[in-house]
Amino acid sequence: MIRKKALLTALALSGSAFAFAALPAATPALAAGDAIRDLTLIARDQGANPQAFQAAQLIAQAWGKLGLNVSVRGLPRLQQSELVWYNRDKWDMTMWQMVGRPERSDPDELVYNLFHSSTAESGYNFIGYKSEEFNKLAEAQRVETDKEKRRELLRQAQAVLDRDQPNMFLVYPKRSFAFDNAVFAEDSVVEQPGLGIKNIWSYLGAQPLGDQKDMILNSTDPLNAINPLYISGATDSWVTELIWDRLLRISPEGLAEPWAAESFEWIDQTTIDVVLREGMMWHDGNPVTVEDVVFSFEVPNVGDEVPMYQPFVKNIESVEATGDRTVRFKLKGPSASFLTSSLAKVNLTPKHVWEAVIDDLANRPENAESHQEDLPIGSGPFKFVRWKQQEEVVLEKNADHFSPPNIDRWIIRIVSNTEATVSMLRSGEINFLSDYNGDPEVLADVADKDGDIAIVSSTDIGFQYATVNHRRPPFDDVAMRRALSLAIDRNLMVAAAWNGSAEIANSPVSTALSYWHSDDTDAISGSLEEAQQILKDAGYEVIDGRLHYPDGIKETLEGP
Amino acid sequence: MVRVVNRLLHMLFVLWAVATIMFFMFRLMTGNPLAAYIDTNFTLEQQEALLVQFGLDKPLWQQYFIYIGNLLQGELGQSFFYRKPVGEVLMNAFPNTIVLTMGALVVAYLFGIPVGAYLAWKRGTWIEGVGIPTVLATRAAPEFWLGMILLAVFAFNLGWFPSGGANTAGAEFNSEFARFTSVDFLWHLVLPALSLALYLQGLPLLLMRSNMLEVMQEEFVTMARMKGLSEWAIIMRHAARNALLPVVTTFALSIGLSVGGNVVVETVFSWPGLGRLLVGAVASSDFPLAQGAFLLITLVLVSMNFIADLLYHVLDPRVSHGSNN
Repeated sequence: MIRKKALLTALALSGSAFAFAALPAATPALAAGDAIRDLTLIARDQGANPQAFQAAQLIAQAWGKLGLNVSVRGLPRLQQSELVWYNRDKWDMTMWQMVGRPERSDPDELVYNLFHSSTAESGYNFIGYKSEEFNKLAEAQRVETDKEKRRELLRQAQAVLDRDQPNMFLVYPKRSFAFDNAVFAEDSVVEQPGLGIKNIWSYLGAQPLGDQKDMILNSTDPLNAINPLYISGATDSWVTELIWDRLLRISPEGLAEPWAAESFEWIDQTTIDVVLREGMMWHDGNPVTVEDVVFSFEVPNVGDEVPMYQPFVKNIESVEATGDRTVRFKLKGPSASFLTSSLAKVNLTPKHVWEAVIDDLANRPENAESHQEDLPIGSGPFKFVRWKQQEEVVLEKNADHFSPPNIDRWIIRIVSNTEATVSMLRSGEINFLSDYNGDPEVLADVADKDGDIAIVSSTDIGFQYATVNHRRPPFDDVAMRRALSLAIDRNLMVAAAWNGSAEIANSPVSTALSYWHSDDTDAISGSLEEAQQILKDAGYEVIDGRLHYPDGIKETLEGP
Repeated sequence: MVRVVNRLLHMLFVLWAVATIMFFMFRLMTGNPLAAYIDTNFTLEQQEALLVQFGLDKPLWQQYFIYIGNLLQGELGQSFFYRKPVGEVLMNAFPNTIVLTMGALVVAYLFGIPVGAYLAWKRGTWIEGVGIPTVLATRAAPEFWLGMILLAVFAFNLGWFPSGGANTAGAEFNSEFARFTSVDFLWHLVLPALSLALYLQGLPLLLMRSNMLEVMQEEFVTMARMKGLSEWAIIMRHAARNALLPVVTTFALSIGLSVGGNVVVETVFSWPGLGRLLVGAVASSDFPLAQGAFLLITLVLVSMNFIADLLYHVLDPRVSHGSNN
């Protein structure tokens, strides 16, 4: 489709060239189409994401130099989502972001869901990018179980995105975390690429140095739920992954490795045998059995009671216990991300607790997401103690676990005021800064004065980007998108908007995922002249400072 | 008695009106509650299932009758965000807000009343010249700014008080009562209550002052002076007592007004109260929770109005004589 359009544009161009040759007296202005309408770039309001808002203003300026009239409009998150998601043909440009999560250590989720055509109608491809070539690569990498080959497919997919510029990726932000190194031994805190020190390996490994054996963290947002069958807010997932075990876990190196499973073995491309670790117990004292494992992977497909986990078990044909400690999974088709996005994602859920709940829910409109256990029961390295909404969640060490933590309690405080978190870190009200959106320099200053605060800053798996609506011309034109992307000076952006704490981005696979990230995409850099040349070559023309469509193209849409 | 019943009926009417306005306001507002749940794996089926769960798939009028029907049975519905009954979510936050409000109000009134009386007595002196602008400036200063200043000074620099929350991390108590009366809780309460009190003190202070100025013109004060009583005795025993009446009734009104107005202070001090809950609910289009919170605030407000009204009749018989005519 896009090719066809480019061809037509080229034809139109050569046509107008002929016209020039034949009629040298004709005024050049007649060779251009309509002026491009005024455009609005939507961004989160300044207070909510000051960096992205500043970036949006720099972008609007840069695009202004191309002859577009772009104004920035700040919106609260929900209004932005509402417009971009539920009014897919009503907006032109928006800023957006993806955040890092452990399961995004596998590139599949972000590569496939953001750009595959199947998600354009109602899923996350809200920009409406459609490329058969990309679809094929995205599908192929999903089923390729040979790691090397899969990497090659992902490189090709990233190259297509680099060429088509569906989004204008800006930066992979660096996130700052900090902890009190008088409380925890500095070398016992683990950094996981893309996630920083806020990960289960830190919580398990952190070695208390003195009497303070509680790790006290912070979160800006309150929790929605603590439920093994519900993927809710980000903070919720920090808690659920500690209470509930998974068969595999993402290691600090970003690979899915045995956890509750002692081992696993691929029998063929669609069959995998898993051996359950011996002697595991639920927090209520019952043993963890293979029936529990089978239940955990079957329950998302029971009616519509566990909708959020359905995508992660969709590819499972059958799961059955083949012995006291062995389970066999049969898949519908080969899947490269099965280890990461199924075995390391699905929580092991006690059948004796949840079976009756699910049965009961079958006759009611609510689903499992509405069921909040008073005392959540998992088998993980931490046990649930209490949850005080808007205040804190307290977990305690599960000494019987096969990988028990060194700390006694893991407490997450809900702190709505970002500035106060730094003060709390200093006073010891918290000793692990796990959620910080403030100025990194303020944090560095405080750490300097305090002397006992270690700061760790890591490049995120997530990224910040600007994007355009492919359903609305001229953004269906690759040349236009390439020009828009090249006009952005990403280095300036890193320095001016992110205060230097970010890396420039041009791929949905972060540099933090060094194995999967394609270095070939790193070449993108800002050059206004190049962008202007691309537009010129594609037939766009600047008249009186205003960019016009190529010859013969009418503006069919209205500006704001 | 008829009057009391009348007032109660009024109250019910106000509650119904607020419930109805809230119901339609949230639903007619632009904003799709599903927008809060957008995720990379969010499919169309999930979106539809969510609408059914939230009861938003039914026509508006039907939703409204279900809502009112539930309200009559004391059911506020289920929070979209917490997936828990709204009543339960509200009751977790409400006591914290009441304690904060009451604490701040008591401080504000204990300070405002005597100082107001004193400033009236010192009318025309330099004390008034300094006092009144100070009071006005503190009252006019934005609460979040006051809060941040208190935080910066007393928490960050001096380290005397904690920087947020209602209890130390992981603190355990046998009962809610034990928690509210613990040193730990009171220690956390100081800064937020003080910020709020700084804002609230203006009303009783200025009201007390103007009442005093009026009372001081009355003949019985002149009489007291003629009797040669000490200044202190005249202020406290004669003038202040008479000037206090309207201030007492505003206390009840203030409870109602400030319960809903603590949003800023609660956010600055990460206080687990109703105001923060309300902001979160509105921001995430959690209709049932936002409606419930507003309704609860309205209920406190109208009840306090009602109490202030009754109190007035008890304290000042002249008022009830007037209304009976």
